[in-house]
Amino acid sequence: MFRKAIIASVILATTPMVNASELVIAGRDSSYGEAMEFIVSEYNKLQPETKVTLVKRPSKGLYESLVLSMREQTGNYDVILMDDTWSTEFLTNKWLAPLSKAVEDKDFVQATFDIGRYPDVKGSAYAMPMVGNVAMFAWNRAEFAKYGLSQPTSWTDVLNSAKKISESSDTNGVVFRGVKGNPIVTGFLPILWGYGADVVDQDGHSTLNSPAAKKALDTFLAMKQYAPKGVDVYNADEVRESLQKGTTAMAIEVWPAWVPNLDNAEVSNVVGDIELMAPPAEVGAPAPMLGIWQLAVPADSDNKQAAESFIKFATSSAIQKALALDYGMPPTRNSVYFDKDVVSKYRWYPQQAKALASGKARPRIHNWAEVESILGDYLQLAMMGQMSAEQALEQAHARIDRIVKS
Amino acid sequence: MLFENRKQLSTLLLPAIVVLGLLTAYPIISVVYNAFLSVDIGSGQHHFVGMANFAELFDDFFFVTAIQNTLLFTVVASTAQVLLGLVLALLFHRNFPGRRFALPVIIYPMMISTLVCSSIWRSWYHYDFGFLNAAFVSVGLPPQEWLFNPDFALYAIAIVDTWQWTPMAFLIILAGLQSVPKDISDAAMVDGATGWKSTLYITLPLIQKQILLAFLLRSIDTFKLFDKVYVMTGGGPGNATETLSMFVYKYGFRFFDLGMASASSLVMLAISLAMTLIYAKRVMKGGKQ
Repeated sequence: MFRKAIIASVILATTPMVNASELVIAGRDSSYGEAMEFIVSEYNKLQPETKVTLVKRPSKGLYESLVLSMREQTGNYDVILMDDTWSTEFLTNKWLAPLSKAVEDKDFVQATFDIGRYPDVKGSAYAMPMVGNVAMFAWNRAEFAKYGLSQPTSWTDVLNSAKKISESSDTNGVVFRGVKGNPIVTGFLPILWGYGADVVDQDGHSTLNSPAAKKALDTFLAMKQYAPKGVDVYNADEVRESLQKGTTAMAIEVWPAWVPNLDNAEVSNVVGDIELMAPPAEVGAPAPMLGIWQLAVPADSDNKQAAESFIKFATSSAIQKALALDYGMPPTRNSVYFDKDVVSKYRWYPQQAKALASGKARPRIHNWAEVESILGDYLQLAMMGQMSAEQALEQAHARIDRIVKS
Repeated sequence: MLFENRKQLSTLLLPAIVVLGLLTAYPIISVVYNAFLSVDIGSGQHHFVGMANFAELFDDFFFVTAIQNTLLFTVVASTAQVLLGLVLALLFHRNFPGRRFALPVIIYPMMISTLVCSSIWRSWYHYDFGFLNAAFVSVGLPPQEWLFNPDFALYAIAIVDTWQWTPMAFLIILAGLQSVPKDISDAAMVDGATGWKSTLYITLPLIQKQILLAFLLRSIDTFKLFDKVYVMTGGGPGNATETLSMFVYKYGFRFFDLGMASASSLVMLAISLAMTLIYAKRVMKGGKQ
């Protein structure tokens, strides 16, 4: 009881006080925050009687705030912005309220909308997709042409092309995020999926000890020799920089927010040279990783109806088009991806829409953050040569299986 | 006497005792309690697991490495900071041209936000585009693998910490030097002790308490190392820069596993308490002398 009071007072102290007729939105800072400010100002023009308060937090701080607030049922937030990997935890804990049927709209890219349903794609919608992030594969057409290489379609092609390019020039073959934890895992997942393997099966048991996973990790580790020195501690900034400066020919994982600068002559040496596509696949169809930011209504909100109305507005096609054009936010609606104004500004949007449509969500398990962290630790030990691929996968498998079961 | 009776004294102290009790005792009791539980934060259910959390911790390769890394960092960084601080303090204890301008420059790193200075150093350490490797190459030296060599990454972070916090040790020791009565050094000079002999046998013993205090404060701070690792390496490469604070943060705020986070906090508390007691004992002993 006392602990609840302390947590509630910490949250209250950092959250603006509002009365019941107001909407409080928990969102992110930086470009997401600016985009959300725009939505709020547009919403206020339509609904001047509703006062909307936006609380902006960095991504990790936002997660902590949401967990503490919803667990203690403080009712502090009416609308929350959340990463799709958090939603399983929030939904299994019954922290989110279902949305009405009225939010369903065929214009949404199906995969991005289905990710907000629970318990499966036939279930009710609990969240609407606001930002349609999808990991794409980038390759430098000019570099490939120099060595007579063609567009890679499998991870073996990627490895061979990377070898050819790095051995023939000073350009690195391939780059990825190698920092332990989420970055290295998001770098590895497209390869793991491309080999037909996964972290857990449908019952939530670890499958990392499969032969396909081993092949995937062998390929990933083999790429290091063709990557820039220090790739082990590369994060988003370094990957973007090496692609933009033209020092690397391919990137395993490129997110939409990184792309506009590739064609910006002020900062890029590769204007018009970089091509984007869904990640290659060794077996089956490509499986680009989804990174959807969703809007949802906490179950403890006192303003559920007004909150749903705000969410519908925030994910409308008019707002999504404005967000794409003015803030570079990747949309989640088909109509926006094929809008001529939008496509003329972002030439890669048709490929991005394709990747999004065939996108795959990270495993829907409630303790994904822990699973991701464990896998990230072992992947990096393998990357540093402190463990073999087999040892790393076996140990990650054992630990993940234990925590998933617990 | 300041207070008329014990009742008045108790009445006046009570609010402070209550506030301190709530803000200090409650979290500690709560951490001790949670360390023996398995807590499901979603449902709020918890059950007693005895020493299982501690057993799991000491069976965890990453936790054991985090302890080793934290202790190594504490020893290396705090020693470097106090030694450099001592050298600087001895230098600045004398007058030299430009002393007044050099002093703020020396203190400046301490005033920069840790996150900002970590980000700056992270870019300086960049293998391909970093300032340090560019400087090395320009004088004919090979570029260094500052942050991604697992054998060096922790020392690279210690360099940043030393750059930022040596000024603190320097200020503490300088204050000590300035409190040494001038007639002692004058008397030593009359007795023939000059230069380094005077420093070694007269000055240093007199500022021993300040040096120990600088060691204590820097050891406590370096033991808590979190932000620099978070920004510069994320605990990697491998687990080369994983620290106890990072470990506790990960379990507490990423996984919301309160049992494991509390157990690892307790281990951290026990180590820092032991360290503090050793220092405190030495400082008190120095005081009696």
